[in-house]
Amino acid sequence: MSVILRSSADPNSEGFAANQAAHTELGADLDRQFARVLAGGGERAAERHLSRGKLLPRDRVDRLLDRGSPFLELSTLAAHGMYDDEAPGAGIITGIGRIAGREVMIVCNDATVKGGSYFPMTARKHTRAQEIARQNRLPCVYLVDSGGAFLPLQDELFPDVRGFGQVFYNQANMSAEGIAQIAAVLGSCTAGGAYVPAMSDEVVIVREQGTIFLGGPPLVQAATGETVTAEELGGGDLHARRSGVADHLAVDDADALAIVRSIVATLPPKPPVPWETRTPEPPAVDVASLTGAVPADLRTPYDPREIIARLVDGSRFHEFKANYGTTLVCGFAHLHGHAVGILGNEGVLFSDSALKGAHFVELCDQRGIPLIFLQNITGFMVGTDAEAGGIAKDGAKMVAAVSVTRVPRLTVIVGGSFGAGNYGMSGRPYFPRFLWMWPNARISVMGGDQAANVLTAVGRERDPEAIEARKREIRAQYETQGHPYYASARLWDDGVIHPRDTRDVLGLALGACANAPLGERRKPVFRM
Amino acid sequence: MSARAIGPRFPPLMFGTVLVANRGEIAVRVIRTLRALGIRAVAVYSDADAAAPHVDLADEAIRLGPAAPSESYLAVDRVLRAARRSGADAIHPGYGFLSENPGFARACEEHGIVFVGPPPSAMELLGDKVAAKLAAEAVGVPLLPGLQRPGLSDDEILEWARDGEDRFPLMVKAAAGGGGRGMRIVRADRDLPDALAAARREAKAGFGDDGLLVERYVERARHVEVQLIADRHGTVLHLGERECSLQRRHQKVLEESPSPVISPVVRARLGEAAVALARHAGYVGAGTAEFLVPADDPAAFAFLEVNARLQVEHPVTEFVTGLDLVECQLRIAADERLPMTQDDVELRGHAVEVRVCAEDPMARFLPTIGRLTTYREPTGPGIRVDSGVALGSRVGPDYDSLLLKLIATGADRHEALERLWRALGDLRLLGLTTNAGYLARLVASSEVSAGEMDTGLLERGVVAAAPDAAQAREAAIATAATRSLTLGGPDPWEGLPGWRVTGDVPVTYELAPVGDGDTVVVEIAGDRVRVGEHEASLQVDTIDPGRVRIALDGRARVWDHASVDGELWVSAGSDAFAHRVVEPVVQDAAAVAGGEIDAPMPGSVLSINVAAGDRVAEGDLLLVVESMKMELALTAPADAEVTAVIVSVGDHVTRGQALVELDVAES
Repeated sequence: MSVILRSSADPNSEGFAANQAAHTELGADLDRQFARVLAGGGERAAERHLSRGKLLPRDRVDRLLDRGSPFLELSTLAAHGMYDDEAPGAGIITGIGRIAGREVMIVCNDATVKGGSYFPMTARKHTRAQEIARQNRLPCVYLVDSGGAFLPLQDELFPDVRGFGQVFYNQANMSAEGIAQIAAVLGSCTAGGAYVPAMSDEVVIVREQGTIFLGGPPLVQAATGETVTAEELGGGDLHARRSGVADHLAVDDADALAIVRSIVATLPPKPPVPWETRTPEPPAVDVASLTGAVPADLRTPYDPREIIARLVDGSRFHEFKANYGTTLVCGFAHLHGHAVGILGNEGVLFSDSALKGAHFVELCDQRGIPLIFLQNITGFMVGTDAEAGGIAKDGAKMVAAVSVTRVPRLTVIVGGSFGAGNYGMSGRPYFPRFLWMWPNARISVMGGDQAANVLTAVGRERDPEAIEARKREIRAQYETQGHPYYASARLWDDGVIHPRDTRDVLGLALGACANAPLGERRKPVFRM
Repeated sequence: MSARAIGPRFPPLMFGTVLVANRGEIAVRVIRTLRALGIRAVAVYSDADAAAPHVDLADEAIRLGPAAPSESYLAVDRVLRAARRSGADAIHPGYGFLSENPGFARACEEHGIVFVGPPPSAMELLGDKVAAKLAAEAVGVPLLPGLQRPGLSDDEILEWARDGEDRFPLMVKAAAGGGGRGMRIVRADRDLPDALAAARREAKAGFGDDGLLVERYVERARHVEVQLIADRHGTVLHLGERECSLQRRHQKVLEESPSPVISPVVRARLGEAAVALARHAGYVGAGTAEFLVPADDPAAFAFLEVNARLQVEHPVTEFVTGLDLVECQLRIAADERLPMTQDDVELRGHAVEVRVCAEDPMARFLPTIGRLTTYREPTGPGIRVDSGVALGSRVGPDYDSLLLKLIATGADRHEALERLWRALGDLRLLGLTTNAGYLARLVASSEVSAGEMDTGLLERGVVAAAPDAAQAREAAIATAATRSLTLGGPDPWEGLPGWRVTGDVPVTYELAPVGDGDTVVVEIAGDRVRVGEHEASLQVDTIDPGRVRIALDGRARVWDHASVDGELWVSAGSDAFAHRVVEPVVQDAAAVAGGEIDAPMPGSVLSINVAAGDRVAEGDLLLVVESMKMELALTAPADAEVTAVIVSVGDHVTRGQALVELDVAES
């Protein structure tokens, strides 16, 4: 039975104010990180870029989108704190936006950042965007303006999966699956980069600005002694009139973007939404009170319904097994009109909570309802009782159900993400369609305190002072490596988001997920 | 019709059915009187006017033929056939078209149909400017020095012009017709031959007669005209004067009665001169004697011409005399006697009329076309609207650009002007660029308030063609705000405009004014709006589908809005604003290098002066487009080579259509 959730938070309480203050501080810091990324390669690089008659990368994205279209940017903080902090956003912008009324994955090089060169994380971000596009059947638009691989780090970039090379593998496979691959060459597109347009279904190039060649003029000079300009070697006129590498010749950036819009408008219509949708309504509980109702400190337990009440339409929640396995809250709701099943943690997972979770995931899988995981988990229960009760096999059931479900899974890490709880709650290794973190969240194999205790307990050191020092060291390491910025920098998530944006982020993502029809149901062997 | 019923009452009329051989506002206006008098009204229409208000207002309407006037409203045989078919006893010709065609008046007589107008003989005598001047001379009415003989050759005119000391500036005019067509002011001897050629061409095209006359041009002149009314029984009266000094290209823009500078003494002298001329010509019906009045000496008036018809601006006389001039015309045509003497004619109060036309003040007042998607007439005490359009009307390039007339009356000139200004503000007309906002600024101008007018005033540009920057900005905001109402929807991809992970961005509207003007960028972010340096809070509420209330920093106004073929129209007063949202447009990379000369307005190609391969210098004439009887010379914008001539003489072209392609020389 569906109930209208109410908040038990008291807006006048000290706790509320403290929560809000803590979240506000975290939010302000997140905005500072965003601002650094939005600035790209800085003012001088931007001026140089503009002086060439080009549009800045974010303006390119804005002009490509339908007027007023949201842009669900991905991995905004990629490469944060890496490469001497010289690659804000890893020098590439990825995200989902609307073009000609349909959701499209956009991958846009930022030539103001080291000439748009591919760092290892640039390739990770690019291939992650493609992975999302492939899973959700989103047409891809590549706005290419890149000098190619960042050579000093070629070892981290070239040989392995999710490196530069996989970009083209993904393009071929998506094209094979009928997911349109469209490239606009707005600048350099050298060497490996030349394959981005070459592997695309339809290509636009800007005259006297875009170039495509396997070897640039200096390399040609060195190899064959031929002296040639970039435009002669691989300019728009050459590729649009002679080589056939490009299909459309554009006058400038704006023209190229208009042509891309025109191409997207020719794509076949998107399929119907695979699950039930309703006219959306805002939550009955004010979203603005979310950060007061929910502590920022991971050690303070709280009811996940405080979040759910502020996420779902009309705050209406049809809870499943409310009185069983109470450390996992499960239920049905609508979010921005989309039917969803929600799982939220309220403490560690016991056998019963794991069984409940597996059951609920099965229900949603059968009914074709997307799943939302609100992850705040320290792990599965340990101890004699738990082990004897078969926590391992019950936890395994939940992990298995999550692993094989055909419905989209969207995961938000709202607190801790530790241990096997991460698996059961659809962590990154379980390929949820999307995964985001709140600024107060932490992710690691176990909590920092726990790790410090475990490691010192199994260690040989007996000097209490030395043990304390070792513990501090371990805690500091976990704090650094478990931080959302550290995670986001390495593409362990699809972005750090403000808690207040969670509903809209999920709504937009559900809209994107709706582009892919649901597959057939599959069933692993559940250990009974 | 709201003319005050202070005039004498007539007995019932003898006509059973009257055909109105005209269109637009004058057809509507005549039909109204016919209906008020209980006479069956028959309208005629061309294909372009099949859905026009005059068709619907009449008891019956008969198709004449295609849009071209020569095949419809000017086709004598077709009009007569329509009259016979509908059983009309009489034909009211309105103004223009067949109203001053003696051949038509005679043909009516021959078919036993009464022509509501002067007898053909009087029309011939007075309708011809040359004959009229000779007649005026004969009865001692003062004239301007000039040559007005029938059949003047260019040589005779040149000889006269070179003969005297102060012959320049002079004016060349078509002997037939009026309304500025075939008129040329010439200030120097060397310009005269070209002016004569052009005037003859326009006269021939406009009136089928290339006869010209020439006379002294008075620099600061006022245009004052006397309304005449004469029955068949020897009564000839004048109904006071109208001043029509505010003109553009010799087309009247604002008319009023009485003139602010005519004293009772001069009024009497003008009236007597007009009456003497009418008597001399044996004039019957309503007519107008036009005089030129030097701005510095109103008593030194000179006769210009007689218009042997009802004038466009007759309503101001109706307001101040209380007479229905169309009713007078009909009674006279029915052989009734005017039941009054000159002493009974009493002028009361003041009346002012403006002509709301389909023209673009910001584009040199070129005619405009469009469809009226919003149309609301003003109402109120002392306000009269004579309109030929209605909601949904299509205004094409086939006929005169006059849409409607707003006439206001008051106890005095000040009150009449105030009411007219208010009426212009209340008029709502979207979908078509008009001069309404310009007229409002004109009515409110210090020159008009002070009555300091002359026929060159408007050409001197004393009144701003465009609304001021603040108004234009507000209109752009209103356009964007109205547009933003279309954003949103149940899908979050539609319902979260400007949403970003990194913080929302404004929704940007780049608005290009339709016609001339700079592009405006309006940014709307939630309840804030920004245009350049100007920022305000924004509240938009829908009142009904065509109206929104927009509050900027709490100051609310109601805006009408409409979208027509991608043109977004808004108006909160006399000015209407149209913008297009600049959307990404695919350019043709292969074609953008060259230069194109586009048609500035719809019309037909009159002549082509270049061929592909020609080298032209900046300013060289490329081709001439005729539109709404005006000749537009299109010249080379720079030194160039003509790479292609895309059209041929006689082609009908639409606005913006490429005519000639140039390769602009790079030097």
